[in-house]
Amino acid sequence: MDEKLHVKTLAAYPAGYCATRDDAAPMFSAEGVVDGNQIREVRLEEYRGQWVILFFYPSDFTPV
Amino acid sequence: MTELAAVAAFYPHIKALGAELLAISTDSAYAHLVFKQITPAITNLAAPLVSDRTHEISSAYRVLDRKAGAAFRASVFISPDQIIRAKFVYPKEIGRNISEHVRLLQAFQYAQETGQGVPANWVPSNGSQPAPAEKKR
Repeated sequence: MDEKLHVKTLAAYPAGYCATRDDAAPMFSAEGVVDGNQIREVRLEEYRGQWVILFFYPSDFTPV
Repeated sequence: MTELAAVAAFYPHIKALGAELLAISTDSAYAHLVFKQITPAITNLAAPLVSDRTHEISSAYRVLDRKAGAAFRASVFISPDQIIRAKFVYPKEIGRNISEHVRLLQAFQYAQETGQGVPANWVPSNGSQPAPAEKKR
């Protein structure tokens, strides 16, 4: 059986939401460490009107 | 960790462009707090450290490593009208180039101001290639 993934197979499926270029940014609200050492709610919506970089990283306390 | 140290060094450039950076991992906010307090290289980092404890944010942005329960090394650039304009995913073992993040913000703003495309390897004509800020002690 051929287990390789082929473009023909994938191209036939609708892609769904990919969170990529030109997509609406999903809104969120989450706890964060802000203003030095305060823990408070951070809402993406607060930053409307500014460029924002979401900088995802794997984990605290790791090298790299 | 070296990535966040590099973010700390370039953060003043990001703020100077009127932008914000939200650093996000699946650690708890309390882990973030302790991490900041005991890691000298990021103790002074002013960028918010966001906790994606539920994995919802990483999942929605399609950057969740489900096996690891952790986010990929991924950067998502969101414009002022909250549309995703760029996204890149890096290997687990290789840290990102934070200077390139600043250049991309500068390039977006240049493109917006001039209505022109931005060629490969463009840098601002005022020569303001971002350099890491002096480390505060």
